[in-house]
Amino acid sequence: MIPLRIAAVLIAALATPLAAQAQDRKAAPEDAYVYIGWPNDGEVVGGRFKIWFGTRLFGVAPAGVAHPEAGHHHLLVDTDLPPLDEPIPNDPNHLHFGGGQTETYLELPPGRHTLQLLIGDENHVPHDPPVMSRRITITVR
Amino acid sequence: MKIRALTTAALLSLVPAALVAQEPARKPAPEGARVYIIWPADGAVIPGGALWVRMGLQGMGVAPAGSAVAGTGHHHLIVDSDLPPLDEPIPNSPNHLHFGAGHTEARLELPPGRHTLQMLLGDENHVPHDPPAMSERITIIVPE
Repeated sequence: MIPLRIAAVLIAALATPLAAQAQDRKAAPEDAYVYIGWPNDGEVVGGRFKIWFGTRLFGVAPAGVAHPEAGHHHLLVDTDLPPLDEPIPNDPNHLHFGGGQTETYLELPPGRHTLQLLIGDENHVPHDPPVMSRRITITVR
Repeated sequence: MKIRALTTAALLSLVPAALVAQEPARKPAPEGARVYIIWPADGAVIPGGALWVRMGLQGMGVAPAGSAVAGTGHHHLIVDSDLPPLDEPIPNSPNHLHFGAGHTEARLELPPGRHTLQMLLGDENHVPHDPPAMSERITIIVPE
């Protein structure tokens, strides 16, 4: 009985470091193309504006749905790229679209802001190579 | 006893078959969902006839065929055809293009002439939602 319990504790101890390790990244086709359809780089927009996510030669799948050539969008606002070998953070600078959405409305304070799209797999981990857009800069009036 | 058990098993095996043969139930589309062709615009002239159609979806998400996630579906592009019956799976033909991998752009190479385009969302079984989540039908022109 006791050896079994020890074994269970050992297995739990082994599993935890594995979960914390960098995750395997899924392969993405070289020609997968993601872009911000609107607004354009340099655009001046109102406080609340629509942004649509362009994806070509790659598909959209909700978080949790495993598909070899699809993922879901993350919109990076006013931030650099996160580490590409772990799940994309979930915070006001890293917006998740786990429902498979391909557009949204954003409300940002006046000033200059950067926007970039980064696709994550079913576990929010970027592909290899990463499927991402250029980073654009917009100005909110 | 043995024969009776076999008969029951045979009857039970018939039930799922009858259920499958029925028209699939249509999934509800979320209130305010909107499907629209981002590009090209209605009436656009496309020299050469090769284009990428950009498919827009508001208030819903995209999911590959076969994945049942509430509030999602996958795109179908109807080219030069009327709407198919809305209570059965969308046909798969050169006039009914399926984007079962969750793609949101469609590459078309069209001959000269007038062509109509309309988007229709299907659920994981390619059945339109209720009400159907579909775009306006637009006409584009490929010059000679």
